[in-house]
Amino acid sequence: MTTVNLQYYAQLREQAGTGGEQLSTAAATLRELYDELRSRHGFLLSSDALKVAVNAQFSDWDRALHEGDSVVFIPPVAGG
Amino acid sequence: MNHFSLSSDAVDLAQLRESLRHSGSGGFCNFEGWVRNNNEGREVSGLEYEAYAELALAEGERIIAEAIARYGVLAARCVHRTGVLGIGDLAVWIGVSAAHRDEAFRACRYIIDEIKHRLPIWKKEHYLSGDTAWVACSHTERAHEHEPPAMHAHHGHVHHHDAPVAVTAPAFTPDYSRQTRLRDVGDAGQAKLAAARVLVIGAGGLGCPVLSYLAGAGVGTLGIVDGDLLDASNLHRQTLYDARDIGQRKVDLARQRIAALNPTVSVHTYAEPLHAGNVVDVFAQYDLVVECTDDMRSRYLSNDAAVLTGTPLVLASVYQYEGQLQVVSAKPGEPCLRCLWPDEPAPGVAGSCVESGVLGPVPGVLGTMQAIEALKILLDLPRSAGQSLLLVNLLDVGTQRLPIDASRGCARHGGCAAVAQRALAQAQRDHDVDLVFASLDDAIAAGYRLVDVREPDEIAAQPLHAPSCCVPSAQLATQAGELPPGRLLLICASGRRSAHAARELRGLGVRDAYSLAGGVLALRPSCDRVPATTRSRSAS
Repeated sequence: MTTVNLQYYAQLREQAGTGGEQLSTAAATLRELYDELRSRHGFLLSSDALKVAVNAQFSDWDRALHEGDSVVFIPPVAGG
Repeated sequence: MNHFSLSSDAVDLAQLRESLRHSGSGGFCNFEGWVRNNNEGREVSGLEYEAYAELALAEGERIIAEAIARYGVLAARCVHRTGVLGIGDLAVWIGVSAAHRDEAFRACRYIIDEIKHRLPIWKKEHYLSGDTAWVACSHTERAHEHEPPAMHAHHGHVHHHDAPVAVTAPAFTPDYSRQTRLRDVGDAGQAKLAAARVLVIGAGGLGCPVLSYLAGAGVGTLGIVDGDLLDASNLHRQTLYDARDIGQRKVDLARQRIAALNPTVSVHTYAEPLHAGNVVDVFAQYDLVVECTDDMRSRYLSNDAAVLTGTPLVLASVYQYEGQLQVVSAKPGEPCLRCLWPDEPAPGVAGSCVESGVLGPVPGVLGTMQAIEALKILLDLPRSAGQSLLLVNLLDVGTQRLPIDASRGCARHGGCAAVAQRALAQAQRDHDVDLVFASLDDAIAAGYRLVDVREPDEIAAQPLHAPSCCVPSAQLATQAGELPPGRLLLICASGRRSAHAARELRGLGVRDAYSLAGGVLALRPSCDRVPATTRSRSAS
């Protein structure tokens, strides 16, 4: 199991009901992690519609998770 | 026929009204100004109007001609009384006939505002207490816009009268000393700002601070794009406007506020959203563009035009208590919006202020940051190295700067310029997606089959009383094969989802997919067989 720190923005924050959480996960990659979170929080957005950043750097979805990673999911927003 | 006249006697209103009848008129709007029994706390028994007739007649004709040209109305007339009038008497009569009500209302409003503002007519009030006073008639704020101050010069010669008419403000000399004192700005920086041309797309929550700060800073030319009218729901975050402005075009209001703030700024307004056919030409006229809309299509269109014209673009958007800020330098090899999110998300995915809510200062903060970025670019001030996306969370006042690696974005698809070129070409091919129909019956008569792409709860709340099939927009792509043959007219609440879905269907080979422009909101309950709702118009 890997422990990661998650941050949610915009719609994801609203759907998760929190701006962030610490999670212990069996997911090996960011994509698997997001799939797990989708079923857990009912996120409506698919990963294609999102950007993901790890430790303050944008990342590919195939990146492996490491202990202590800070993961941020960023949807596009349009309000003005 | 004279369109404007002065009359020292009572006016034949029926005859005036008949003179505006036209077989093409669908609406007639009439304003009457009456003499009331009090003014500023004093009881009035009557009044006298005195006009400088020669000038008033010429200027009055000019105002009517302007209103006809400006709003495309069919006919307009105005009569202003002179001489002694009693309480309840008609002082001014304006009538406008037009194909549609909107332009009739607006032209009528334009005429009365301009007449009060420009005509050399003075009013002497008689008070119950026996004394009299000349009072200003021409102090009104005009609803539509202020012309630059120089254009008022030809009224100057009326001011020698004793009557207290409004006095043209003395020439204004801006004082930029607080910013030129900054070593990195100085007179040279101020000269750069004066020569700069900046386009601001969207005059809403983000656009208000951008326009205020750029006008205040002395940016020489500001372009403003906004197709919306001001709605009461805008006022909590759109600080250029006030309650008296509701229902007016934001571009006109913003122009008026900028003229009041810094009359030396030259303002160009675009009262329709830019589109694939003109966006490149418009961008090419500016040094910098600030994208302040709440519309994903506009953001992607602006991105593509910025990349193709090499115009720096400052993007921002907000969601509830958060915002995102990205500066697209539009230099070769540097990342653009599509490097992060390659395709425009489907409407509804990205959220809007209407659907998700927003706290007023949130766009205020992000718009202010856009203004700073714009000034930094124009003045060539030190900026953060590299390209990044800035996330701002105003609940915990946290920011996060995420560097964008250009080699992992559009570079994998031929580079930003090639991607932008393809996207713009696609947008041009899809430009005929939006269709305007006066009623659903017209669309059916023209051979369109109606497809309601709203969600079941929306349809239940406001069903279309016309033959249609219902497929929610998210399921259209998978059900494309089951749609009826022939020309399809997709319908949603506002026209955004249906337009996106129609473009998506065309991409899947359904070539005859169209979208009802404006959606259900644009339909008229009286003749379109949809129940009326109290829902207000959306606005950025």
